[in-house]
Amino acid sequence: MRRTAVIVACVLSGAVLLGGAADAHANYVRSNPASDARLVKAPTEVRIEFSEPPDPKGSDIEVLDTAGKRHDKGDVRPSGDPNGLRVSLEPIADGGYTVAWTTTSAVDGHTTKGSFAFVVGNGPLPPPPPVPEVAPPPSALEIAGRALSYAGIALGLGTAFFVLFVAPTLTDPRRDSSLLGLAGALIVVGSVALMVDQGAKLPPRLGVMLGVRAFAGLVLATVAITPRLALMRPVGALAGGGVMTLGPLATFRPRRMIALAASIAAAMTATLVSHATALGSLKSMALDFVHVLSVSVWTGGVVALLWCVLVTRRDATAEDARALGQTVWRFSVTAMIATALLITAGVLQAFDRLVLIDDLYETPYGIALAVKIILVLVALAIGAFNLLRWGPRLRAGIRARMALVRDTVAETAIFIVIIVAASFLTAFAPPAQPSAAAYDQTQHVSGLRLEMLVASAGAGRNTYVLRVHQGLAPVGDAEKVAFRFTMVEHDMGEQELVATERASGEYVADGSPTGMYGTWHIQAIVRLTGREDVTTVFTLPVGAPTGGSTTSQVVTIGPYTAIVFTDPATPQSGAPITMFAVLIGKDGNPVTGKKLSATFSGPNGQPAIDAIEDAATLGPGRYKFPIAALDAGKWNIAITVGNEGSGPYSLDVSR
Amino acid sequence: MTRVLTAVATLAIVASSFGLTSNVALGHERRAVGPYTFVVGWLNEPAYVNLLNSLDLTVTETSGGKAVEGLEKTLKADLTFGGSTTPQPLTLAARFGLPGKYSGYVMPTKTGDYTFHITGTVGTMNVDEKFESGPGRFGSIESTDPLQYPAKVVSSSDLAARLDQLQTLVIAGIVLGGLALLASAAGLVVRRR
Repeated sequence: MRRTAVIVACVLSGAVLLGGAADAHANYVRSNPASDARLVKAPTEVRIEFSEPPDPKGSDIEVLDTAGKRHDKGDVRPSGDPNGLRVSLEPIADGGYTVAWTTTSAVDGHTTKGSFAFVVGNGPLPPPPPVPEVAPPPSALEIAGRALSYAGIALGLGTAFFVLFVAPTLTDPRRDSSLLGLAGALIVVGSVALMVDQGAKLPPRLGVMLGVRAFAGLVLATVAITPRLALMRPVGALAGGGVMTLGPLATFRPRRMIALAASIAAAMTATLVSHATALGSLKSMALDFVHVLSVSVWTGGVVALLWCVLVTRRDATAEDARALGQTVWRFSVTAMIATALLITAGVLQAFDRLVLIDDLYETPYGIALAVKIILVLVALAIGAFNLLRWGPRLRAGIRARMALVRDTVAETAIFIVIIVAASFLTAFAPPAQPSAAAYDQTQHVSGLRLEMLVASAGAGRNTYVLRVHQGLAPVGDAEKVAFRFTMVEHDMGEQELVATERASGEYVADGSPTGMYGTWHIQAIVRLTGREDVTTVFTLPVGAPTGGSTTSQVVTIGPYTAIVFTDPATPQSGAPITMFAVLIGKDGNPVTGKKLSATFSGPNGQPAIDAIEDAATLGPGRYKFPIAALDAGKWNIAITVGNEGSGPYSLDVSR
Repeated sequence: MTRVLTAVATLAIVASSFGLTSNVALGHERRAVGPYTFVVGWLNEPAYVNLLNSLDLTVTETSGGKAVEGLEKTLKADLTFGGSTTPQPLTLAARFGLPGKYSGYVMPTKTGDYTFHITGTVGTMNVDEKFESGPGRFGSIESTDPLQYPAKVVSSSDLAARLDQLQTLVIAGIVLGGLALLASAAGLVVRRR
């Protein structure tokens, strides 16, 4: 009974260490209409792009007017954009609308929620919706399912690895069979629990992955209870890469090879439903897989050492003690390599998931991670103590088996405590969240997390957003939030924009303070009642758009050259677009006083527009074409200068 | 002709000297308050931390520009730093020989934005106006660090921050030392067994 308890504890500890692997959340990245957009033309659909693939079946997009009446048709389906969904709208009148979205990650079935607003016409934006619970914590069933299946993976992989490569001759095959059988059962039960938790909204891809995992668990359970048949040798050889075992090991080695292959397959499914896979990063996937494998070899190996060796072998004689010491030493070396890989992969993953080192004590995810790290270090310290204290004694022929068992049990107890930390780790989204902003930097100042997001890295009109959090709790009702802009390369004076609170803890300002290419300092000032101003400086490089598309084109118009571009640089359908033309003469000087007009041909009709010349505001030779809205598609625009000539300009408007 | 040119040049120099010595036009906020115009800023600008400075308040009648005197008896002024809820009252005093101009001395000890809050009455009109430093208004309190030469003097706020960091390190050191002691004790116990 006691031994069984030890095994269960060790298994659970494996679950803990694997628990942080999967944290997929499909978060809002961008939309059309954009958040806070002011449209002159009512949209016919709403399209939202998420950070991870959403499952349309478990997702919903509601478009509500200020009275709460729904105006979407409920036909949520893939938009054709990467990770995008769309919903059709009924004809809507001028006014403010709130888009409330709920989506389920196709990778691991996690649900996320959010909302944003837009306005058609000149009315005000709807009041900021209450900040929703972006990522509800997973249910108890989900946590249990994850824990059980991860425990099974760790136990199966660790045991198979141990009996194949660490102690192939010392162990009784019946004992590792019991561990492999338990591992298979845990994987099957855990996978079924996760499927039940998802219920009808189980994304197909996740269903396939859980099915593969459950099948791997069945294979593990089967090899554990199947008699040692020589018939299994070819299958085992196949799983082991073609190595056909001969001699005394031939009876049980094939089964162990199959068990190892099945465990690796199950471990692979853990990575394939993880945040790393959802982000589509091969590096993150590789790190995640290494993390899972190394944790399994270590924790499962501890269980196998305890159950298959320590509780069965005796060290009554010096000979026995030395043999036991050799086995312990081989496992120690294996465990050291595994923990080195585990720590390396974990640290590299943490760099991707944490924004600041302060996240480790300020955010729920970070706190859970920190607790996990500390406990793992304590477990490692005990392991090191075993290695340095009891290992040499055994190898010297001195009895130390019981002390080793006692310390291994202590190590196991620490693993159990880690379960709590891992449960929290899976419950919270990591602090590093994707955004569509061209500039996204976070600083920790006076106990506050200040995240500055700038919509575009180009010169001209821009949107500046400051998210203010204490830990992960938004700091709302600031007395004042202001941005002060100074240019580094030139003395352009200091300009200030005062932000308004769009949602709790999210402060937004629009303007054109960064109108010149170069390096700009943005001093963010947050004034909270009763305390000193919190202020910090962000450095924003402003330049020509790189990497993405640009609308800037050089157009020859009769004797003139025009540089034509739009604001925004990536125009969206239905939203206002301003097209600028800088007219330059043959002498290289700006040309003023001309009559410019633009004629459109594209997806549908669009009346010609005459340019506005406003040298006082725009500068000499600069002409502005205010376009109310264009439909999505490719537009060919002929720009004419009086009777002197015409030149072609093309513009892609996204949906 | 030479005398005329000399006189014009002299007048120009005198006029420009007024411009240089008067801080009113440099970094002050001008605001119409009823029939009066309030001009508010720091007396010494740029305004630096840990240096004596003062509210520089000028009140004139908007129509005609006549200075309004005697307001040190009817107006009150206080100064607030950032979002602080404990403002510093200023002793408003008429500036000698400068009708319509008032001062209230203070030594700002932190860099950043300050708000002058002026309340009371001007004639029969109630006044309750806040003037906050910032771009387009009047200057914020700046650090003297870039100006210090040859040796940099550590400010009291920096010193306090460094002491805080030191305290954290000391606590961490004590905790680590305690853990090391515990580990040593545990090692000794094990060894004796």
